[in-house]
Amino acid sequence: MAVARSREVTTMNRKAIALVVVAGVALAGLVSVAFFPAGSIAAVVAVVDANYLGAALRLTVPIAFAALGGIFAEKSGVINIGLEGLLIIAAFVGIATTYTVGGGQAAVWIGFAAAVLASTLFALLFAVVTIEFKADQIIAGLAVWLIALGLGPFTARVIWGTVNSPSVPTLNDWTVPVLSEIPWVGPVLFDANPTVYMLLVAVPLSWYALNRTAFGYRVRASGENPRALDTAGVNVSLVRYKSVLISGVFSGIGGAGLALGQVGQFIGSGQTMVGGRGWIGITAYLFGNYNPIATFGASFLFAALDALQIRIQQIPGLDLPGSLVRIVPFVIVIVVLALIGKTRLPSAAGEHYDSDED
Amino acid sequence: MNEPVVELDGITKRFGDVVANDRVELTVDRGSVHVLLGENGAGKTTLMNVLYGLYEPNEGEIRIDGTPREFDSPRDAIDAGIGMIHQHFMLVDPMTVADNVVLGNEPRSRLGFTVDREAAREAVTDLTARYGFDVEPDAVVEDLSVGVQQRVEILKALYRGADILILDEPTAVLTPQEVEELFDIFDELTDQGKTIIFITHKLGEALGVADAITVLRDGETVGTVDTSTTSKRELAELMVGREVLLDVEKPPSSPGDVGLEVSDLTVTDDRGVDQVSSLDFQIREGEVFGIAGVDGNGQSELVEAITGLDVPDEGRVYFDGADVTTDSRRDRIEQGMAYIPEDRQHRGLVMDFELLQNGLLGSQHDPDFAPGGRIDWATLRQHVEDIIADYDVRPPNPDATAKSLSGGNQQKLVAGREFERDPRVVVASHPTRGLDVGSVEFVQEKLVELRNEGKAVLLVSSKLDEVQQLSDRLGVMYEGAFTDVVDPDDVTEEQLGLLMAGQDADGVTSVPAGDFEAEAEVGR
Repeated sequence: MAVARSREVTTMNRKAIALVVVAGVALAGLVSVAFFPAGSIAAVVAVVDANYLGAALRLTVPIAFAALGGIFAEKSGVINIGLEGLLIIAAFVGIATTYTVGGGQAAVWIGFAAAVLASTLFALLFAVVTIEFKADQIIAGLAVWLIALGLGPFTARVIWGTVNSPSVPTLNDWTVPVLSEIPWVGPVLFDANPTVYMLLVAVPLSWYALNRTAFGYRVRASGENPRALDTAGVNVSLVRYKSVLISGVFSGIGGAGLALGQVGQFIGSGQTMVGGRGWIGITAYLFGNYNPIATFGASFLFAALDALQIRIQQIPGLDLPGSLVRIVPFVIVIVVLALIGKTRLPSAAGEHYDSDED
Repeated sequence: MNEPVVELDGITKRFGDVVANDRVELTVDRGSVHVLLGENGAGKTTLMNVLYGLYEPNEGEIRIDGTPREFDSPRDAIDAGIGMIHQHFMLVDPMTVADNVVLGNEPRSRLGFTVDREAAREAVTDLTARYGFDVEPDAVVEDLSVGVQQRVEILKALYRGADILILDEPTAVLTPQEVEELFDIFDELTDQGKTIIFITHKLGEALGVADAITVLRDGETVGTVDTSTTSKRELAELMVGREVLLDVEKPPSSPGDVGLEVSDLTVTDDRGVDQVSSLDFQIREGEVFGIAGVDGNGQSELVEAITGLDVPDEGRVYFDGADVTTDSRRDRIEQGMAYIPEDRQHRGLVMDFELLQNGLLGSQHDPDFAPGGRIDWATLRQHVEDIIADYDVRPPNPDATAKSLSGGNQQKLVAGREFERDPRVVVASHPTRGLDVGSVEFVQEKLVELRNEGKAVLLVSSKLDEVQQLSDRLGVMYEGAFTDVVDPDDVTEEQLGLLMAGQDADGVTSVPAGDFEAEAEVGR
């Protein structure tokens, strides 16, 4: 219920409040550090170097790819909350394939391709169930996650006798000559994992595809007013299929990037090695208001917090609970969504489209 | 001129057992405005959906320029030069005019992936210049008024090369001025050789703009008449199949005490924007207070505050002098407030419930129907059967679901349920929206009857003829406030149109919105 007071709070004020709160929450974990032994602040500051930024960028890969995929699906009207599951499937298939093929970078790339294929097939299954058979998108998305959460560790146990795989090689970093010599920027951007380069290409490409291409027009129309698209003579289901498949491909790259770009092992215990990165991807694109570039920024922010958390854990004498730091992205998103309320869901997101009904 | 461009020959379309079109014949001449007139459910929209390729006819033939054609999808119809402007706009709100116009047929550049936005903009500018519209290609659709959005729809059809434009009830959402502008656009289009098929159930519009009128009734063609040789009365009779009273009989009012009072009422929406701002008015028993205005000027919010669906931010609502501002819906119903909601399918009825259960809604606490909290089905059934009989609800079956009824019969059930509670205050929001002529007549007569019995009646409607005929005083609402309160017998449609657009209308005599306190005191 609108009250008189709220009329005085203009949108500008709201944004200011939101920014202050976000900054406060983001710093909350760090502020508590001040109460820890002397020298720890210096230790925290010391971890923020080029190495740290590189690590943050690597951690951005799974989050941002899942988020980019989610943007395409949701913009077309299909809410894909199964992104977490797609990441798990991709991570598992990537590791298992690389392990089976065995040896060398070629095997890792084959694993990578298999991971993307597996994730895309899962996305296709999700698309058929939700678009063709009009299942509830939220329930089907949860099913994708739960199936992946069970299937990954189970199959791992079948293959290796335990839910965790042995180590496999990872993708070698690509170093761009000369450019990588630039201080700070060089080591972060030009001496990085191939999946990081892929992300740096995928972000602007996604923006362009959504906002400047005919396909992007149709994706947006399909999520806003599918009937408008249908009466314009475009097949709505086809647009939605393509969009969901894109979310599968992107999530596949994200999951493979995590498994084969960084970790080199499948860890199936608990929430698996993916550990909620697909969910953070959803919050990232909501935070980024479906804009691929802003979404990349949000993903990087969350990844940087994660990286910071890992590093702070390693500082001797500091005992900051990691699980506390890990909730920060979610708190930020709730605060931002509540206070700015700027995120605008596509009008027809989550709705089935049936051209026959009148 | 008399060269047929569209010929529909013996079109039959069935949905299951229901025959929506039964051997319909329609011939439209090139360069003419052809009106398809009929009540709701007469099969007008179905017929046009057949022509537009959305439905496949079970029988019959479509000929365009004398050539038989079969349309499997709108794409085929578009290719044959047919464009359709639907009743509900098919626009993507957050996109610009140019983006909407080209959607599905985007001009491409760079390897065919990228949309050539410059070309799209030019295409829109060319079309607007050629047909004399005024639409900004870079404007975002959701920022545009309904009238301009409709022009965007017309542009979409023209961009796709339409020679034959079908408009489905295009005037339902427009102000009288916008309707005039639309008809000017019709002239421009027909001058340049386009053909217009215009679906409506409004007699005045049909007579005003058509070259020829084809009347449909119960899915069948009743006949095609020449506009110059027909009259409202003849058309109404053709539509309904019997003689219709176009004017409601209304004796002079004899108002009593103030029944409903709204004082300094302000309602804001979620964004904190005023939808109703500091509104004051009183309605006396035995009078109809009408509120005219273009939809979306605060009427819905006002009605919600009065009926208790929303709590106003400021101001009070009085009911027979008692403050009911924060009373619940149940309290208000029990105090004698009848309410016909504007959206009967969402707020008036539970569509999957039977008429029997729907007849109970709002009375579920009434000891007559639910003594001790258990529903007395026998009493309820008797009550609902009485409503069905008195209000002529068809089919007369209390066990039918609400959604199986036509709009008119659904509304008659809602009206019956509300009015049979013997209310003292009646709030009717767009009570005849989307109803056929026969049901309109029925509901309007009921409202006048209630007024004559001494109820205070609030009537919100965007139909000017309706509010003008039924009201004793008429408030014209624009952006949450009254531009004026007028005597409905002493104002022209043009003046109302100006007031509805928030402008001054010269020569209108205002009447008081309220302040009947003194009189009422004497009355007590």
